[in-house]
Parts: sequence; C-alpha cells; structure tokens
Amino acid sequence: MSETVYGARCTSCETVNYPSRPVCRRCRGESFEPFEIGGEGKLLTYTDVYALAIDYETRYLRLAIVELDDGVRVTGQLLDADPKLGKRVKTRIGVVRQSSGGKPITGLQFVAA
Amino acid sequence: MKAVYIAGAGMTKFGRSEWPLIPLAGAASLAALRDANLGKIPVDGVVVANMGAARINHQTALGSALADYLALCPATAEAVENGPASGASAFKIGCQAIASGMADAVLVTGVERMRVVDGLEGTDFVATLSQPDVEYIYGVTLPSLAGMFARLFMDRHGVERKHLAMIAIKNHENAMENPYAHIHQTITMEGILTAPEAVVNNPPIAEPLHLFDCCPVSDGAASLVLVSEAVAAKLGGRSVRVAGIGQATDSHAVHEREDPTDLKAVRIASEKAFALADLKPKDVDVVELHDAFTILELAESEAAGFYKPGTAHKAVERGETRRTGKLPVNPCGGLKAKGHPVGATGVAQLVELTWQLRGEAKGRQVKGAKVAYACNFGGFGNNVVATVLRREGA
Repeated sequence: MSETVYGARCTSCETVNYPSRPVCRRCRGESFEPFEIGGEGKLLTYTDVYALAIDYETRYLRLAIVELDDGVRVTGQLLDADPKLGKRVKTRIGVVRQSSGGKPITGLQFVAA
Repeated sequence: MKAVYIAGAGMTKFGRSEWPLIPLAGAASLAALRDANLGKIPVDGVVVANMGAARINHQTALGSALADYLALCPATAEAVENGPASGASAFKIGCQAIASGMADAVLVTGVERMRVVDGLEGTDFVATLSQPDVEYIYGVTLPSLAGMFARLFMDRHGVERKHLAMIAIKNHENAMENPYAHIHQTITMEGILTAPEAVVNNPPIAEPLHLFDCCPVSDGAASLVLVSEAVAAKLGGRSVRVAGIGQATDSHAVHEREDPTDLKAVRIASEKAFALADLKPKDVDVVELHDAFTILELAESEAAGFYKPGTAHKAVERGETRRTGKLPVNPCGGLKAKGHPVGATGVAQLVELTWQLRGEAKGRQVKGAKVAYACNFGGFGNNVVATVLRREGA
C-alpha cells in the first residue's frame, strides 16, 4: 500500500505539477524533483455525488478540491460530517477505491484539521 | 480559408432507441443527405463523431461502417472521439477538408447509443474522460465535477438554486415545441424546488445539483452535409455559412486550473470563432449552449462573452434567455430536455441552428435569426469547440 502521493516540482520555476508530466505546465521546463503532496489547507469546494462510477458500493461519495497551504490544489475524498467552504482540513492516505479485480487503491482523503 | 456551407441537416428523435448504432447514424445521415439533395454530386468524405461505441456497443471504425452502409464508398471516412466535444470536433474536421480544397462535399454524423448499458456503467464510461490518477481513482464522475464547480461558482456570484431551476424550466418548455426532444414534460418551480414534494421529485445528484439540473441519458444521431462554395452555388437556395470555428484545450485535472470557475477554453474558443467570423457576441441572435448541467448554461454564457462574469443569472431572472427574450439560449430544449447522446450533441446543436437560420424551426423559431453561436463543451471544459454560423446575405 503506497503511503505517499507525489507530484513533480519543476526545478526551473518551482511550479508543482500534479499530476506529474514531462513538461512543466508553467515554464515548459523538463527537469523535475519529486514533491510530496499533502499537509493542511482549506476546502475550496465539495459535493455529495450520488451518480457514481462502477466499483463503489455506497449510496454517495463526498468529494472535494482542497487548496493546500503550499499552494498546490488536489482532488480527493472528504471525510468530514460538517463541510463548509474555506474550512481547514488536512490530508491523509486511505483506501479510495477497489480496483475491478478487488484490489484496494489508496489516495488522498481529507479530514478536519 | 475557403468558404464552407451547410447544405443539409437532419437528426433522429433523441431518447431511447431500439436501432443499432449504424442504422441510427444512417437515419440521421439520410435525412441530411435528402435535405441537401446533392443529386449526382459525390460525397467526398464521411466523418463520424462518437465517444463510447468501442466500450458500450462493441463496435469500432464507425466512419468506414457508415460510408459502406450508405453506399458512399470510396469516399474517405474516419471517426472522431473527442469526449462530449466529439460532435463539433468532427464538424470542424469536415469544414477543414472543404476549406483546404481537398473535398467539396462532406457528411458529418454524430451518434451515440448509451441506453444499452445501465446508469452506473453509463456514468462510468463518461467518467473515463477524467484524469485517471488524480481524479477518476477518487470516484470522480462528470456530475461530481459539475457539483463541485456549481458550489464554488454559486458561492462566488450569489447564484441560487432557483436560478438553475429557471434554466431547467425554460429548457423543458422549449423542448415542448421540439419533436426531436427526448423529454416532453413541463416542470414548475413548485414541483422541483419550493413545494414539500420537491425533495422527492428532484433528488440530489451531486450537491448542489439535483436531478432537474442534469441532462438525461439519450440515444440519438444528428447529421450535416457540408459543401464548398462551388457546390453550394450549384445547389442554389442554400444559405447557411460557417462563419467561424474556434477550439481550445485546458488542463485535464480541474484542480490545476488557476481559477476553477473560469471556463478558459470556452472563452478562448469563442474569441477565436468570433474573430474568424468578424462578428461579436452582441451580433448573435440565437445561441446553443452545452447545458449537460444547468450551471454550465450560466457559466458558458459568461465565458463566451454574452454576459459579464457573475451577471448571467440576473439575465436569466429577467427572462432574457427565453425564446422570446433578447438572447434566446437553447430554443431546442438544450441538452437538459432535448437530450445528450454524447457524440451526437455537437452536431445536433448545429442542426438546430441551421434550421433556426433558415427559418424552419417551426414552433420554436427565433424570429429573424441571422447569426447563431454554439458551444460544444468537452471533458469538464478541457476541450471546447465554438462555432458561429451566419445566414448568407445577412
């Protein structure tokens, strides 16, 4: 189980590309270092979605985009019973999906900071 | 660029269809070809727009299949898969073939047959357009992206659920006059928002969006015949010209956008289309927007330049976007009520506008329409095609 989510920080302009890509979205530089995604931030937006993809056996999923304090924005699952725009949250790694073969897939989850 | 004209337009009724994929595409194509009445003028090329056939209909190479089905061989043929923007992308490629001088007559047909799978699988196949590693793995679907977009957009601009309901009510009302529409049902503010039973009638899909903020899942096909100026002159009496096309892409993951409420690709694609047409948003008489979710009709109308950011909901409140208003938006019922067979949508928008510009839209005709605009919104705004059509001589 992977415990860390990585983006790629451009060594020329320091922009974090998440997802990673071979060419920087800001300066088109091609040199990167791994950048660990996570920490505290604020809830930019969220939704309770009932129109789900396959592989989920729940009634709805609470998804969110969070703006982390280092400026990086991330999409993930929100585990907070009382969400509000701007609320302080922090990331953790958890099981976000089962693959069609039944294998757990880990990724970013958000809980109240 | 050499001039491109629309010589023929046709479509099937949207909704549930028992027809297999290629006969469905064929029905719309034959309607467009009969409308164009090409006589002995050969069709040089066939472009088919489709998103999901490989996955949900177990069929590929739809261009070749349709060319043979319609006995158009040895015409060139290809299929275009560009997510929900496949339709207008195929149209653009057809226009390029004519504008370059490589073809004189091209058939562009969009088709989708999505009701063969259940809702879950249907939602999932469209969700495969999202970024696999940083969006899809979390359970992101198109409704969830729209829900997150809506919450932020509404918070920033003071948009309320009643504004979104007004858009749904308008589009359902417009579809009542459209025999090709999937849904023929008028809805009321009480029934979907204010009455106690509204919570049952209109359950949440992706908060703050509810059922009546979302388009239905539809089968259907739409088709256009594009011709060069020389062919248009031979046919005579055909008067709709492709004035401008613009296309733009944006980041795959929505969270990477500088401002996630800014539909940058809509803005850039629209600016390009208007520049090529030498026209401005204020010159437009009738508009087709990609309202897969009601919030998108609002946001696209601003990004395309018809309203300043954060003001479109006020225009909706004033009734400006109704069929009889200052800027009629989605007189056909939009994706909301006409339906959204994904690959067909971009073509169907232009079929409607062709009829509007020819004055053939019957009960839903926008009076005296001369200039028309369409926005075909792919991904969640990461690939957008904007088109400006013009009645020749107008």
